[in-house]
Amino acid sequence: MNKEAIIKVEGVSVSFWQNNVGVYSLKDLITKRKSPFKSKTILNNINVEVFRGQSLGIVGRNGSGKSTLLRTIAGIIKPQKGTITVNGTFAPILAIGAGLELELTGYENISMLLALYGTKNSQGNSIEKISEFSELTDEVLAMPVKQYSSGMVARLAFSISLANDSDILIIDEVLAVGDQGFQAKCMEKIYEIKRQGKTILFVSHFPDDVLKICETAILLENGRITHAGDAKEICNNYKKLF
Amino acid sequence: MQSINKNNNVQNISRIYALSKRNVILRYKNSFVGFLWGFIKPLLFLMIFTVIFADNSGINNYTLYVTSGLILWFFFSNATSQSVGSIVGSAGLLKSLNIPSFFFPLSEVLGELFNLLLTMIVFLLLMNWAGMVYSPRLLLIVPCALIFAVFIYGLNLLLSSINVFFRDISIIWGTIQPAMFFLTPIAYPESNIREKYRAIIEMNPIYSFIKLGRNIFYSTEVPDWHQWSSCMLIAVVMFLIGQFVFNRLKNQFISAI
Repeated sequence: MNKEAIIKVEGVSVSFWQNNVGVYSLKDLITKRKSPFKSKTILNNINVEVFRGQSLGIVGRNGSGKSTLLRTIAGIIKPQKGTITVNGTFAPILAIGAGLELELTGYENISMLLALYGTKNSQGNSIEKISEFSELTDEVLAMPVKQYSSGMVARLAFSISLANDSDILIIDEVLAVGDQGFQAKCMEKIYEIKRQGKTILFVSHFPDDVLKICETAILLENGRITHAGDAKEICNNYKKLF
Repeated sequence: MQSINKNNNVQNISRIYALSKRNVILRYKNSFVGFLWGFIKPLLFLMIFTVIFADNSGINNYTLYVTSGLILWFFFSNATSQSVGSIVGSAGLLKSLNIPSFFFPLSEVLGELFNLLLTMIVFLLLMNWAGMVYSPRLLLIVPCALIFAVFIYGLNLLLSSINVFFRDISIIWGTIQPAMFFLTPIAYPESNIREKYRAIIEMNPIYSFIKLGRNIFYSTEVPDWHQWSSCMLIAVVMFLIGQFVFNRLKNQFISAI
């Protein structure tokens, strides 16, 4: 494997402001004279290195900081401490329904998101490719997204994100929603992306999916990496948590 | 510190354009008369005020006087009320894409500028019928609207960022707008306000812009440099305040939306 680091996360800590218990509005703030926020550490001194072409699985319980780690790596959240070096471009994070505007139609969403994602060839053929991959009919794509089933939303979101020709693909547990046929198709697409030598960060609650895609993995517990290494071993550790 | 996607300017401009376009589409989505609402609202106000005030306002050509103020007021009112929730409402995009969060309040202003343009075309006809004479001087409304837009953008930055943490802001904003409307001499002449309450008018930044716009449409004299420069000053100060608060808060948006 080409050992060029594409993502380097060094000593990264992220904390969020959390509403102090009981302070939910200006009124509470003014009358109770409490500080409205306290700081809560979400990620604590994270060090990860990902090489070009590597697929890294990220597992952990709910609330262990997986999504925050993905967003921090993608530059969406700025860490309070530590540095992140990335030598490549990101596709938008693939999460359920991410960024789709419910009131707009499928087509309107495609053209808006292509422009926002900065996909280079945002011409007609790209829209065609997306609608073809999503297997959604013309009629469906002309409907507002709010009328879609959750599986259809996932199809659309997945198809738009994958139209992006980026070096790094970030997937945040989306595969569980589509029907079996589409799940298989997505897996196939992910394999294809992998074969092209692209880098994949993959969050999932299903160890089997992680093993299918990733050779290496990390286990997050309360914002710290407690285990890192071979995907099989990490998945076993993860199962032991329950 | 971080080398992310090459965010060149061309790409960012097309992103802001895409968001503004979305706002324009969303605004009148599923409505029957669509963008016509942009002037039905001011028209309705104009009719009400004409019935109530026109005869005893002591204003020459009351229709033109009110219309010129209403156009700018609704530009302000629409742009700010849409924008208060713009950060909160864009949670999906902000959480999945590395996109500067100021794009959202900015695209609200730009979308509203486009609506203003549409509204203006119809109102220019109406105002001509009401006695306004077409002349190149009317083009001064363009810089006037742009300076006002800078002010509104600054205010939007302030409102939308605080609203992330205290959702009361959007409610408060909806509540105090009617008060602000009536404290601004739009339907009545400035002289209606008694001397001891003059401060209310002098401290009302919105009135400076309304007055500037009204001078262009309604009065026959060109607004003087004093008026232009005070509007610019107010706009820049508002922009700087908004920018400062927004920048202080923006890193915590993701966790709070």
